[in-house]
Amino acid sequence: MEIQSMKELIEACESEQKTIGEIMLMMEAEKSGRNKETIISMMEERLIKMKEAVDNGKKDTSAAPSGISGGDAVKMSEYERSGKSLTGDYISNAMTFSLATSESNARMGVIVATPTAGAAGILPGVLFSLHKNDGTFYKDLVMGLFTASMLGYVIANRSFISGAAGGCQAEVGSATAMAAGTIVELKGGTPKQVVHATAIAMKSLLGLVCDPVAGLVEVPCIKRNVIGTSIAFAAADLALAGVESRIPCDEVIEAMYKIGKEMPRTLRETALGGLAMTETGKRVKEELFCRKT
Amino acid sequence: MEFQSCFDIIGPIMVGPSSSHTAGVVSIGRFIHELLGGCPKEANIIFYDSFAQTYQGHGTDKALLGGLLGMDTDDPRIKYALELAYGQGLDYTLNFEDNCAHFEHPNTTIVTARRGENVVKVGGASLGGGLSKVFIIDGKTVDIRLSTGEDLSVIAKKYPQYRMRKVLMGDV
Repeated sequence: MEIQSMKELIEACESEQKTIGEIMLMMEAEKSGRNKETIISMMEERLIKMKEAVDNGKKDTSAAPSGISGGDAVKMSEYERSGKSLTGDYISNAMTFSLATSESNARMGVIVATPTAGAAGILPGVLFSLHKNDGTFYKDLVMGLFTASMLGYVIANRSFISGAAGGCQAEVGSATAMAAGTIVELKGGTPKQVVHATAIAMKSLLGLVCDPVAGLVEVPCIKRNVIGTSIAFAAADLALAGVESRIPCDEVIEAMYKIGKEMPRTLRETALGGLAMTETGKRVKEELFCRKT
Repeated sequence: MEFQSCFDIIGPIMVGPSSSHTAGVVSIGRFIHELLGGCPKEANIIFYDSFAQTYQGHGTDKALLGGLLGMDTDDPRIKYALELAYGQGLDYTLNFEDNCAHFEHPNTTIVTARRGENVVKVGGASLGGGLSKVFIIDGKTVDIRLSTGEDLSVIAKKYPQYRMRKVLMGDV
């Protein structure tokens, strides 16, 4: 079995009477020759590592070696516990977990790339928020990781997932799209609804450039991960309400690819444009690298 | 279809901060380590395009050296790879160029490494999500996929012609 498009994916789910996560698991077993139990336990290991990154990051007030990030997860966590959060439990918890993961990443801590390290905060953010607020079992979260990887697999093979290749839309955009679809599947939505959520989330981030200050995966990457979780929940809610993307998901992915190809080199992770070239961005870079070299 | 597995998308388990500028580069370094059958004594590293612009922030140099020293993507020692390379007697030079003539991708490196009498010159690109590809070895075009889920020593063993090649210094 090989899935090359979202259209094929929905057809496979319908003909096999399986969820998207189950299709991924089946395909992986077929391609790798490993049995399903082994594959599931490998995915469990990834979920555990994600949880460790969240737990470590949530209580760590230290700054990253650069000095330009760190400590915000603790702030968000305290605010969220005060009960004053405007976005509600699902999103504010996801924001805290996402901050915790992305801050760990900036400290060169151990994280799981989902699909990349720069976008590693979004999926754990929404998954552990579902666990906290819905009591979604860990074994279901593991299946959610198969859903997410199936969606990411189609995106990665039809377009790109790295900021250097296609801008932040390819990185935070893809991760947010994967997370949106995963929420829908975990909430019992149909494969079609999953794919609509994926399309809606990706459309919201089309054109987003990759412009990290001093080339570090910190500013603005960490906060883009955090905001990505709220877009994922909003897109999931729309799809679960029955709202559809007017542009089919495969075409949205194609648009993302074309936009990425047209994006100038300065806005694809070279730190030569956008926020990296603001007055403050340039000053941060100078201060950092004068000190190091 | 560069991406073949769910673990190319969910994974690798890795030290931050970047899957393409850190983890994927560890794999390229590790592949060279396996080709040479151990840690090289000398390495000449060329970083192109995005690697050249942002290697300091992403620790791309630490990642490549960590791989050359034999580390995996989730090895917490990668953070200290510059000091560890010095400790292991690995002499390296870093050079920067705009675009790689052999492969069109912003995350590209070419490494010439020597261990004893063996020298290899390997070109690798980090495609995103920790997945890499070796596109040239000693001037020959190749297409070797390096996924962090796989055992790179097994992959390297498929290319014994490069492992056994003995070249005099200054020949590469």
